[in-house]
Amino acid sequence: MTISWIQAGLLGLFACLCSNSCMAGQAVGNYTIGRPLVGGLICGLILGDLQLGIACGVAMQLVYIALVTPGGTVSADVRAISYIGIPLAMVAIASQGLNPLGGSAANLAKSVGTLVGTVGTVLYYSVATMNLVWQSFGWKDVHNGKLNKLTAVNFGWPWISHALFSFLPTMLLTYYGATAVTALRNALPMDGVAMKTLFTVGGMLPCVGIAILLRQIIGRTADFIPFLVGFTLAASLGLNLVSVTVVSLLFAVIMYEVEMSKGGGDHNKAVPEGPNDDDEEDI
Amino acid sequence: MENTNNLKKLDHKTLTKSFHRWFWGALTCFSQEHMQTFGYMASMLPILKKLYPKHEDQVKAIQAYTAFFNTNPMLGTVIVGITASMEQARANGKEIDGETINDMRAGLMGPIAGIGDSLIDGTLVPILLGISLGMSTGGSPLGAIFYIVSWVLIAYFGQRFLYFRGYRFGDQAVSFLVGKQGAAIRRAIGIVGSMVVGGVLASWVNVETSLKLYGANGKVFLNLQDKLNSIYPGLLTVVVTLFCWWLMTKRHVSAIWTMLILVVISLIGVLVGFFNPGLSY
Repeated sequence: MTISWIQAGLLGLFACLCSNSCMAGQAVGNYTIGRPLVGGLICGLILGDLQLGIACGVAMQLVYIALVTPGGTVSADVRAISYIGIPLAMVAIASQGLNPLGGSAANLAKSVGTLVGTVGTVLYYSVATMNLVWQSFGWKDVHNGKLNKLTAVNFGWPWISHALFSFLPTMLLTYYGATAVTALRNALPMDGVAMKTLFTVGGMLPCVGIAILLRQIIGRTADFIPFLVGFTLAASLGLNLVSVTVVSLLFAVIMYEVEMSKGGGDHNKAVPEGPNDDDEEDI
Repeated sequence: MENTNNLKKLDHKTLTKSFHRWFWGALTCFSQEHMQTFGYMASMLPILKKLYPKHEDQVKAIQAYTAFFNTNPMLGTVIVGITASMEQARANGKEIDGETINDMRAGLMGPIAGIGDSLIDGTLVPILLGISLGMSTGGSPLGAIFYIVSWVLIAYFGQRFLYFRGYRFGDQAVSFLVGKQGAAIRRAIGIVGSMVVGGVLASWVNVETSLKLYGANGKVFLNLQDKLNSIYPGLLTVVVTLFCWWLMTKRHVSAIWTMLILVVISLIGVLVGFFNPGLSY
């Protein structure tokens, strides 16, 4: 599998649309086009192998199931994961001759994609920094009363940031990276320690993603129980995810009733239960 | 009451325009320094133009929105709606100034960010993704399509609802999020989120050991993975996940360092024969 300039350019365009501070809006761009599952669909269409694209997207989505960006800090960048990582992983899997639906292919995708995604944070900070230039235009316009120009500041100029730090890097990295990834096949034998480690890490990376999510939803020790019940339903009883969701609804209804029937009613605190890093006393 | 006819009222078209500008542009001109400030100004522009016919009044009014703003962009839509109603009250001569508006914005953006991040990024999106992943087996595009359709509909109409609720009820609009009922709903949804995430982990992640001990006659007398499975299926997967959680929550290790620690563990595991992905050409 190779990547042509046209395909690389299309991937670059989607990278502009989807990153954090994306040009297609946060809900559609970042939360839809940017998610690896959707990225896998789009990359599959662009590179002409839908099945492999989806398989890579699913694998990567597991690692990044939680993409919480508290206060605008990111540890990985969706445009790099979805539109550099997935295409390169697809080329790598195709060149290694792995079964696209197999576990090894998924583990390779996770390793390649996560590496690229982590490095991609540079792109995120570059775009956000370059936007300061357009914002300085904006402050001048507000100062001089040229309010109509604010629209261009918010919707127009940032395209230049993305052309430089989303479109170009994605196009160049996917075009030249595809050759490099294919060459890797000869450099690293599959039964060597390096490849074995790469695949083993790939298998474990989703644990980090799930752990990030747990950090978000678990406030006290008892909160682990529904998580473990869900795990047991799927691992031991073999229920699929829709069934697990249906079972969980029962517990949700019970929890809601219990909370509502608690006395007092003076719980009008505006304190979110969200991420608390210093919860030593709870657990 | 003779001046009722002179009261300015924002029409549906202007509000919708303002909402669309927030929906599409909350973060387009994002920077670490001002974050969503420009998105906010851009979405208030149609409102200000409608309420203040005179250009210099528009320039004066927008000063309130030059203050720093950042919150969860989905749930934060309610704040934009509230400011639309406050701005309308200010244009009608009520005792509201830029400072009142900014106090409200500054007071709400923190709690809304916390609730939004855990409710939407931490619960709703993972549930949708978990269900979609289940539909993607065998490389089927169905899961991705399901996610696109369900999420975009929820996001668009949900945010639209929040915007107009904010406009109609002012700062009363957030009571259903932060009050008692809000807390109960969040806990209930949290249960669904936790269980689905547990299910996702069990369905899609599988950490296994290849450690086997051979007896003198060459037969396997200990297959560790089989032993572990007979204790609790998926034990290693849960252990690795809880280890990562412990590192990040209790030891304050960043996600990237946690991944590097996993690389080291994998390397050692491969060298001693604990892990072997069983690869061959």
